[in-house]
Amino acid sequence: MDGGGEDASKVIHVKFVTKLDSPFQVPSSSVVIPSNVTRLGLSSIVNSLLTLEKHEAFDFLIDGELIRMSLEQFLLAKGISAERTLEIEYIRAVAPRKEEKPSLHDDWVSAVDGSSSRFILTGCYDGLGRIWSSPESCTHILEGHSGAISSIAFVNSEGAENVTVATAAKDRTLRLFKVDTAESGDPTTRVGAYKILRGHKASVASVAAQKYGSKICSGSWDCTINLWDTDEATSELSVAGKRRKGNNQAEETQLEGEAESTFVGHTQCVSSVVWPEHDVIYSCSWDHSVRRWDVPTGKESLNLFCGKALNTVDVGGEGSALVAAGGSDPILRVWDPRKPGTSAPVFQFASHASWISACKWHKSSWFHLLSASYDGKIMLWDLRTAWPLSVIDTHKDKVLCADWWKGDSVVSGGADSNLRISSGISIS
Amino acid sequence: MTKKKSEAANEDQTRDTKKKSVSAVKSSQKEKPVLAKQVKSSKEEEDLLLDSATDSDYDGDSLSGSLNSDDFDSDVFDSEDDASQKETEGGDKDSSEDELELHGNEDSDDDDEGEQVDSENDEEDGSDEEREVAEESDSSEDEVAPRNTVGDVPLEWYKDEKHIGYDITGKKITKKEKQDKLDSFLANMDDSKNWRKIYDEYNDEEVELTKEESKLIRRMLKGEAPHADFDPYAPYVDWFKWDDAIHPLSSAPEPKRRFIPSKWEAKKVVKYVRAIRKGLIKFDKPEEEPNVYLLWGDDSASDQKSKHLTYIPPPKLKLPGHEESYNPSLEYIPTEEEKAAYELMYEEDRPKFIPKRFTSLRSIPAYENALKESFDRCLDLYLCPRVRKKRVGAHSIINIDPESLKPKLPSRKDLRPYPNSCYLEYKGHTGAVTSVSPDCSGQWIASGSADGSVRIWEVETGRCLKVWQFKEAVKCVAWNPLPDFPILAVAIGQDLVILNTELGTDEEQQKIEELLRLGTLPEQDEAVAAIVSWLPDETYGGIKIKHFKNISYVDWHPRGDYLSAVMSAGETRGVVIHQLSMHKTQRLPIKMRGLPVCTLFHPTHRGMFIIATKKNVRVFNLQKRELAIKKLETGLREISSMAIHPGGDNLIVGSKEGKMCWFDMDLSSKPYKTLKNHPKDITNVAFHRSYPLFASCSEDSTAYVFHGKVYSDLNENPLIVPLEILRGHSTSSNRGVLDCKFHPRQPWLFTAGADSVIKLYCH
Repeated sequence: MDGGGEDASKVIHVKFVTKLDSPFQVPSSSVVIPSNVTRLGLSSIVNSLLTLEKHEAFDFLIDGELIRMSLEQFLLAKGISAERTLEIEYIRAVAPRKEEKPSLHDDWVSAVDGSSSRFILTGCYDGLGRIWSSPESCTHILEGHSGAISSIAFVNSEGAENVTVATAAKDRTLRLFKVDTAESGDPTTRVGAYKILRGHKASVASVAAQKYGSKICSGSWDCTINLWDTDEATSELSVAGKRRKGNNQAEETQLEGEAESTFVGHTQCVSSVVWPEHDVIYSCSWDHSVRRWDVPTGKESLNLFCGKALNTVDVGGEGSALVAAGGSDPILRVWDPRKPGTSAPVFQFASHASWISACKWHKSSWFHLLSASYDGKIMLWDLRTAWPLSVIDTHKDKVLCADWWKGDSVVSGGADSNLRISSGISIS
Repeated sequence: MTKKKSEAANEDQTRDTKKKSVSAVKSSQKEKPVLAKQVKSSKEEEDLLLDSATDSDYDGDSLSGSLNSDDFDSDVFDSEDDASQKETEGGDKDSSEDELELHGNEDSDDDDEGEQVDSENDEEDGSDEEREVAEESDSSEDEVAPRNTVGDVPLEWYKDEKHIGYDITGKKITKKEKQDKLDSFLANMDDSKNWRKIYDEYNDEEVELTKEESKLIRRMLKGEAPHADFDPYAPYVDWFKWDDAIHPLSSAPEPKRRFIPSKWEAKKVVKYVRAIRKGLIKFDKPEEEPNVYLLWGDDSASDQKSKHLTYIPPPKLKLPGHEESYNPSLEYIPTEEEKAAYELMYEEDRPKFIPKRFTSLRSIPAYENALKESFDRCLDLYLCPRVRKKRVGAHSIINIDPESLKPKLPSRKDLRPYPNSCYLEYKGHTGAVTSVSPDCSGQWIASGSADGSVRIWEVETGRCLKVWQFKEAVKCVAWNPLPDFPILAVAIGQDLVILNTELGTDEEQQKIEELLRLGTLPEQDEAVAAIVSWLPDETYGGIKIKHFKNISYVDWHPRGDYLSAVMSAGETRGVVIHQLSMHKTQRLPIKMRGLPVCTLFHPTHRGMFIIATKKNVRVFNLQKRELAIKKLETGLREISSMAIHPGGDNLIVGSKEGKMCWFDMDLSSKPYKTLKNHPKDITNVAFHRSYPLFASCSEDSTAYVFHGKVYSDLNENPLIVPLEILRGHSTSSNRGVLDCKFHPRQPWLFTAGADSVIKLYCH
């Protein structure tokens, strides 16, 4: 490290800085290191400086860019002078440190929602939605769908004891469930829908809930996006118990809702919808486009053309404005709609080997997002580097859905019928 | 050397003599006016006339001389020697000369100059010359020494003296008594000899010219040689012996100017070049094109204007290299094994020349093929076609870049999107997948397999949604083309089963159930009843239509009510059309020939029906019950499949020999293009519904994707560009890809493999 036999020209003066808290702070004096060290070398240097008992992996940033090659190459590539003292910021490496036990389902796990810190929602091809409070402990089963659930979402995730859950399924309906979270389902409690939303003419592919409201929207194979109200009071009553023979909750009355409004514009299956702001909906479709809809007027205000059939879209990042989408090719694309005059993606991440089934922005970080693919891998990305930060390949088959949970975990479900949780991801 | 010298000397002599004679003439001519003045002649005027005449003659002579020198000049223009001399002499004059002047007036020759100098001298002072000549002269007339010895002094000096000079002894020569002018005139007039008397004032005496002398003068006046016996035209005696002149006359080395390029000539050349550049010199006038030509003439005849055989240059032989040497380096000499290998080769492939090694040139044997080759050459000449290859542009045909002969096709990049990589596989079948059919929305795909199962898959995820198991291998599945009518037609052995996929909405489901419920069946034709019977399907609640032969192919009408079934073994009764809404079957109203392979309903024309038999494709109009409207001659050995462009005018036909024909049905009954790509049987061909794509799949485990754009402009031919070879399927029991279908909305291709996998190729 002191570079005893090193050539003087191959030595760089660096200063390590960090925004991390006390156990991870190194003395702010400059050190001399050989220029050919890689991230691993830097990490071991910082570890030795810190003298922690447990080895900690770090990632290093120079001028806001992650180092993914040897320091020398990086400086050469970026044209940074090696003469002056280099300031290297280090952060804890974004990689899962712990793999929770998988939660086995009866069929493929097609949908997962981790927006609530208390629960994980999963939708399954057996037509049941499940609420998990922790790995391997399913508290509630949401039943009623006759087809595979394709998407599941919390309507009001935080706050009240009763949470509302919306599910979309391939039986062309959406169902709304009210779950009392207080009763801890020791034997898993089965919950029936309090409201069935009919109106789509084909399989519903995706559902998204308004952030602070009572509305949900859904995208379907009939090329439309429907807006629904989840309120009990506003919808007309209708008895639907008769339909549900052989169900132990058949006596429960069910509400049936109709779509409040329908957004027409997509020419093919609307594969994914997100509702990031109060009156803005983003949708992506197999017609190769990402569209932004203005909810009050029902008009589309943005149309990004991609060239590939899209499976998933999410909005986040800097100013919650970047649009990430993936689909029928292994490339995850990120657009910046604020950039005028161009519809070319600002970032393209192409490390997957098959279709991308899910992509999600981290809720608090501007840089991090995850993508899941049919090649069985989940990749964590940072906008500051073109390589994935880490690859989670615990799934043995296609990954169909993935989401962040609690800000430091990744929950994912796939064709191996497992819900897997990778935790301990430190995103500062 | 000596001879040359002597020659030169002789030349000098002759020249001298010439000079002498000329100068003699001249001198006498000079003398003449002096004499003439004192000729006491009564015919003074005549004399004067004569005088002027001689003068003019003389002038003419000198002029002719100068002309001659000019001629000479031009004649010897080429001689380097002279030219260089000219250059040195006339260098100053050159600059002042006209650029274009060809024959300079400058002096060029020694002789010439000499002459001129002579003449100049003559003109300038004749007396010097005369004296010189007199001294040198050996003529008898001049031998009489003058009496007076005063020399050449003006005689005025003695005007007032009584003597006019001194004689040789120094005694005074006294003047004669001057006669009275009148007396002397009278005496002269009386004396008949007076005309030939001349008064010599120098000696103060009267000299009487003799007859000979007067003749001499007369001859001189005429400009002739003074002596009568001098022959100016004496034959030239070449007294120099030219024979055996093997040595040069001069030992002087060749002058340097013989070897250096002439500056003067270079200057001249520069002048001419400048003149040519300026356009002052024009070489040849441009040939004027005849403004009339044979309008109706045969163009081809113009090539053969020259009747004679055209010269065909022999091919250039390769120059011999090291290996052709009689004693090449060892590395050129083939080893024994190589020679043995050559022996095993075909004669054409064998190398023409095998290097051998000889120790010396004389040990080389005679060329063993000499006789044979000369015979072959004779044969070649005898059979040689005397045709000249047409040359295209500057290059001969051989030099044409083969790339340039390829048709100009657009780049593959510009023809995107098209399927090129496989991302999804649909696994679950246990036998070869024989047929696939996507539903019209593109959300599901149905497949039939040799293991007897029919499956429905979710396209998006590759999940198998439904499975129906039958006892026999499934031959063909076809999804109803109507979006609100999700039913499947499945061909299993002799049965055609209509399956309810239960994927529709509740109302659609009700309609389908109604449709699939067989109530009282309508009366069937006897002929039809013999081959087809409608039965309910107990196991899966659909309809089972039992045929009398195995069904190989099923196709839906675009309206979704009719479907046709093909029984290959059924021969003339091999094609039937079922109407689902009426639960009724019709035989084809047309008499058919050949074994039917597959059928197609025309996508836009309602009544049009296309049947492919093993060799031909026929187009029928079912409503008109006529014979075939059109017969397409494929030229294929055995048709295996066909597909029609959604526009309806273009048809592709795949064959078992691996060929695919594209028919433009408006254009011709012959194929517009035949594509020979697959090494093995083509099993199926497909058109995309909206993208300009078509594909073929084959037993060689590949599928080919083509760009096939059909233009609405009837003048424009369809554009066919091969795009991609899709590999990935493995061969199982010698079968490759059995079916391919395009996704109805995306540029994706489904392929069904004998390896029991369905693959989706995406763009």
